[in-house]
Amino acid sequence: MFSRSVLRRFASDLRMSAPSTISGAAPHPQRACLHQTASLKASQEQASSQLSSSKPESPLSATPRAQTSQPTTNQRTPPNNFIPQNRSHTPDEKRPVAPEFKEPLKVTRSLMERLPHLVGQAPHYVVAKLHDKPYLLTPGDHVRLPFLMPKVQSGDILRFNRASALGSRDFTLKGNPHIDERLFECRVRVTGTDAEPLRIKEKTKRRQRHVQQIRSKERYTVMRVMEVRVKTPEELLQEGAVIVEEGEDSPAIEAKA
Amino acid sequence: MTVQGLRTVTSAQNGAGAFILQCKRLDLHYNLQGASSHGLRTFVQTLLPKFARQYPQIEFRVSPTPKKHPVVRGHYINGREKPICVRNMQPNEILKKVILLKEASGEKNRRQSKPVRSLNESVRGIWSPYHGDLRGV
Repeated sequence: MFSRSVLRRFASDLRMSAPSTISGAAPHPQRACLHQTASLKASQEQASSQLSSSKPESPLSATPRAQTSQPTTNQRTPPNNFIPQNRSHTPDEKRPVAPEFKEPLKVTRSLMERLPHLVGQAPHYVVAKLHDKPYLLTPGDHVRLPFLMPKVQSGDILRFNRASALGSRDFTLKGNPHIDERLFECRVRVTGTDAEPLRIKEKTKRRQRHVQQIRSKERYTVMRVMEVRVKTPEELLQEGAVIVEEGEDSPAIEAKA
Repeated sequence: MTVQGLRTVTSAQNGAGAFILQCKRLDLHYNLQGASSHGLRTFVQTLLPKFARQYPQIEFRVSPTPKKHPVVRGHYINGREKPICVRNMQPNEILKKVILLKEASGEKNRRQSKPVRSLNESVRGIWSPYHGDLRGV
């Protein structure tokens, strides 16, 4: 997620230059990118049909859908008393950047065969990684990150795109070291910030009466897991996944011993 | 048979589906003459209108309290309130405090060692020594 901020400037340049192909398809392209689950099929059919005419070389519909959003003129130069109401009002450089994939998702034949078993067995858990720390998440969980996440406010929806394991009761999809982010969707909602009670640490030096008091009160970001979803093989194929033969570092689903 | 209480069917998980901001009301109390209230008086005139328009779900009450230091008090859905004294603060410092009250959940500050708190049952079940295959040592 944070690595994408590097791409932010590049993407905003791209948005400026790229012609709008599907801005008419969805009223808020960024929203459509975030709420991919609900509008997945409808928007992808539209996107893929238009892609085949305009951009046949890009295999994934998710990539250009967010990038080709063409903001209107009043979004560029908002007046002083203008208050952003929805995501399309936010300026280009602050918008979430959709991931760019160089090549289509490669899945092995054995993964495709076993994936329906994993998909069919609810509930699912995901070991999502944030700053390389694992968080075992199931839908509805309350997460208090051990830090204050910058540039988020309550109500924001984040998608965790890095996971090391994804599983149900009997099956686990293990990444090597990570699962491709196109195989699953994990969304969390920021519900606010939290603080710990004030801590006072007393520091003393030798042969000195003075006692120094160090006060600290850390603040944390609190979030709630909205969904943990494994994509079905049909969805993967529809999004342009390519079936390949077995490789060494390809992820595989393990059954419970 | 022992007396049993009613079991709750559901428990609130704000944000899992719909999201409701927990702060429902912000009271801003200031003194009309006091020098310590100068920052809050300026804040109410300059920064508050825009902030209040941004969050229509929060009720803002502005009222003078004579001979007192200025206080911003947040009221939350769970019935608790959180007061912050903002004496001698600049308007932008007060804005930070108001944002803090807006983002807070109203719960008491507690230490929490585990990052994830879950109401769900364990997905993989509880380990049993009598099931599964035998593994050599």
